[in-house]
Amino acid sequence: MESWEERRKRLEDEMQQHIDLETQENIEAGMSRVEARQAAMRRFGSVSLAGDQSREAWGWLWPERLWQDVRYALRSFRKNAGFTSVALLSLMLGIGASIALFSVVYGVLIAPYPYARPNQIWAPAVVGPNDAVRGWHWYSQQELEEIQKLPAFSDVMATLPKPVLLTGGINPENFYGVFLTGGAFNFLGVKPLIGRTLQPFDIGAGSQPAPVVVLSYGFWQRFFSGDPHAIGRTITLDNVPRTVIGVMPPRFGWWTNEAFWLPLPRDLKDPSGLAVIVRLAPGVTQHAAEQELNQLNIRFAAERPQDYPKGRLRTIFLNYMDITAASGDMSASLHLLLAAVGLLLLIACVNVANLQLARTTGRAREIAMRIAIGAGRGRLVRQLLTESVLLSVAGGVLGVLFALGATRLIVALIPPDYVPNEARIAINGWVLLFSLGVSMFTGILFGLAPALRSSRPDLVGTLKDGRGGATGSLRGRSMRSWLVVAEISLSVMLLAGASLAVRGFIQILHVDPGFQPARVLRIDITLAPKRYPTWQQRNNLDRALLDSVMNLPGVQAADLGNGGLPYGGDRSTFSIPGEPPQDGRKVSIALVSRQYPQTLGIPLRQGREFTEAEIQSGMRVALINESAARLWPSGENPIGRTLQLDDLARPFNNPQVLPAPGIAAGVTVVGVIGDTRNDGLNEPPAPAVFLPYTLVAPPDRQLAVRTASDPLAMINAVRMKARDLDKDLALGKPNTLDEVMSEETQQPRFNMALFSAFAGLGLALAAIGIYSVISYNVSQRVQEIGVRMALGAKRGDVLKLILLMVTKVAALGLVIGLVGAVLLERLVQFQMFAKTSFGVIPLAAIVVVLAGVSLLAAWLPATRAGNLDPVTALRHEA
Amino acid sequence: MSTEEQESQLELLQGTLDLLILQTLAFGPAHGHAIARIIQQRSDEVLQVGHGSLYPALQRLLKRGLIVADDGLSENNRKARFYRLTAKGRKRLTAETSKWERFASAIARMLSPVPDQNS
Repeated sequence: MESWEERRKRLEDEMQQHIDLETQENIEAGMSRVEARQAAMRRFGSVSLAGDQSREAWGWLWPERLWQDVRYALRSFRKNAGFTSVALLSLMLGIGASIALFSVVYGVLIAPYPYARPNQIWAPAVVGPNDAVRGWHWYSQQELEEIQKLPAFSDVMATLPKPVLLTGGINPENFYGVFLTGGAFNFLGVKPLIGRTLQPFDIGAGSQPAPVVVLSYGFWQRFFSGDPHAIGRTITLDNVPRTVIGVMPPRFGWWTNEAFWLPLPRDLKDPSGLAVIVRLAPGVTQHAAEQELNQLNIRFAAERPQDYPKGRLRTIFLNYMDITAASGDMSASLHLLLAAVGLLLLIACVNVANLQLARTTGRAREIAMRIAIGAGRGRLVRQLLTESVLLSVAGGVLGVLFALGATRLIVALIPPDYVPNEARIAINGWVLLFSLGVSMFTGILFGLAPALRSSRPDLVGTLKDGRGGATGSLRGRSMRSWLVVAEISLSVMLLAGASLAVRGFIQILHVDPGFQPARVLRIDITLAPKRYPTWQQRNNLDRALLDSVMNLPGVQAADLGNGGLPYGGDRSTFSIPGEPPQDGRKVSIALVSRQYPQTLGIPLRQGREFTEAEIQSGMRVALINESAARLWPSGENPIGRTLQLDDLARPFNNPQVLPAPGIAAGVTVVGVIGDTRNDGLNEPPAPAVFLPYTLVAPPDRQLAVRTASDPLAMINAVRMKARDLDKDLALGKPNTLDEVMSEETQQPRFNMALFSAFAGLGLALAAIGIYSVISYNVSQRVQEIGVRMALGAKRGDVLKLILLMVTKVAALGLVIGLVGAVLLERLVQFQMFAKTSFGVIPLAAIVVVLAGVSLLAAWLPATRAGNLDPVTALRHEA
Repeated sequence: MSTEEQESQLELLQGTLDLLILQTLAFGPAHGHAIARIIQQRSDEVLQVGHGSLYPALQRLLKRGLIVADDGLSENNRKARFYRLTAKGRKRLTAETSKWERFASAIARMLSPVPDQNS
């Protein structure tokens, strides 16, 4: 079979031959050579049309024709290297940024979990009449048994995270072990990597479950180096040897991705709160199930009023896809960033549409010529669309490459704990499908308008007039101006969003935390509860440890306790005798030692600090912060007054926590210390009460040490002191308060970094676009300028003409952009940076930058035009 | 082209070009230019064929297998494509011719004056 090309060539030869023969005959009939040829051509008609129609008859051609279009497009790209590279760059950045962000959104928001049907997992929350939903409800084991019996649910599972001590290695280490009900792994529907998961028979009927453990991938890698023979080996947890029965795949991260899962002992008296999740029975609606559980909750609340809100209860089911780490801050950020990247992509599209439009206008003569010699309109549109789609697909391929790097960068920027353990962010099939869609869409979007426009030109005008004709180009010019307006306004919105993110970040950096975080080391310490079974024994150990640490050289102050380092602690309901009831409001309780204010650097405002005697004997005295002092009516002095802390009477609902003998709820206020940002830098200070740590003795304590020099250099000395006292004391991972504080700024930093990057890209793209369009518009008017100058216009007049044109366009774009930015600000304030707003300065800066870019873009071609010799300008031809 | 000329020449009816080409080739193979010339001469210059439109028609007929093309030499000794009828083409020509004749005579009968009407 001969190829299409050969066939085409042969047809062309044949038609040429035809015309030659006809010419020959005409000459023989007595015409001159020129006449003869013209007559022959007239008689034949359009050669290209005949060729086109003939090839049409071959029928099976569209792939070949596509190939022809593609080659034609490539040729024309090569001829316009400048245009092509600017267009490709725009597309690469626009599409690449969208792909990268979509990868993150897909990994974090769309498909964050490996669990079976995660959108059908519900977590019940219980709220009072006027409360907002804040997290889910924690049930006791007894309540769980009753919930499991409800017919509304097809499956119920419960989770209990608890500190578990791993011994037998070099250093004892504390982990958050995750205790699960027997059917939990079946509920979640995830297969183990090796071995088996927990099954109901592991828990059995008795109160002691089988001594087994399922390891996380991280634990398996760390302690068994990924050895497949780990199954059947034992590890010692809380002094119980447990057999390893399975290892989960890396993406399984139910409540932990570095520890292990254990069977939950069946103990109906255990008051520990369990996180309960359910799946609904077939045919049961969410509403019906909520009602059914609500009946049960009302009964539970009557039995355990202290753990339920007051008043009429409501039960609300939270969908698992809507809770956990992926919701909240990160979800809001990602939605906004997705919008930002959408704007960026739009700018890229507008850019390319602009370039394409300018180019097709420049090609108006070529296109008019092709139509005149018989090219069909559909054919031309197809040709131009082929060019656009080809360009955008190439841009898409470059974009994917760009996205590979960008995704890695974004992942590196994502703060830990802001995405679910299970999220895996990578460029996958869906993402590639998305990017293909985006590039085809952009190609058609920016290709269609110019294609339609240029295929309907005023033929005679265009052909007569070398430059594209006054009538045709006016419309083109105004369309291009609108595109510039669009670009400027989109950039204003992007830059405004970025300025909000930057301000949010700066704001959080400048928040005064109320204490001095520099040079403070923090470390968790856990004793083995069975070896210290009494309150007295535990406090003796704690005191010995604190004393020996305080005597270390280089230690300025040290604190031992729970909470307040630097954030909250247990939250308890409270009341003030002689004042109106507090309606379920809570204060945070921190257990501290004498040097707490010195260790954190919190000033004393009123009254006095604790005495050593008060600490030693565990007296019921309290320091409060300024916010807590305002719980009293203004003008009343809280010093010497009594505060009733409900949690203190039944210490923290935890049998592991041993209270001082004769403990009661009432404490006497002896002093007021300064407010700290104890609820996060973004939140106002919460009312807090500080008590002598000796009042209750839990197995875990936190040690904080203010040092004279580098706090991390103190770690080993502290370790040695701990080991001297008891070699089985488990020390957690040490960190500094500076590190803790810097975590607070990570989310704002993430927002700022990405927003600024997108805005920077957007600005660059818009600048390129604005420049190329304005300079093109000016060069299109060279002839007109020549006429004006020939008629006596001065160089300054020409400059004024062009700058005026640009100023109008830029001003319109800025106004539209600013209106959009104000609307955007509303949305953003609602969603994220609660207390951030535009300043006048950033907005002014944005206006100046964009106006500057536009004027610069106009300046160069304008001066060039102004310097033109009128005669050259008049002669100026394509 | 003057008005007079236009009146004496006729544009081809849609689809009749295929029939004319087949008829032309019934007398033996011919190349494109020859086909155009023969159509013109045999119709006493009444039928005007835009020579260009011949080629799409030839490609259509080739595709339907009614004609085939061979390489040969033209009268001025240059390489040329000669088209000839296939058996299928000949059969189609007969069918189309009789169809056309019936059509033409029906039109003629409709348009000719009816003698009865005058009396």
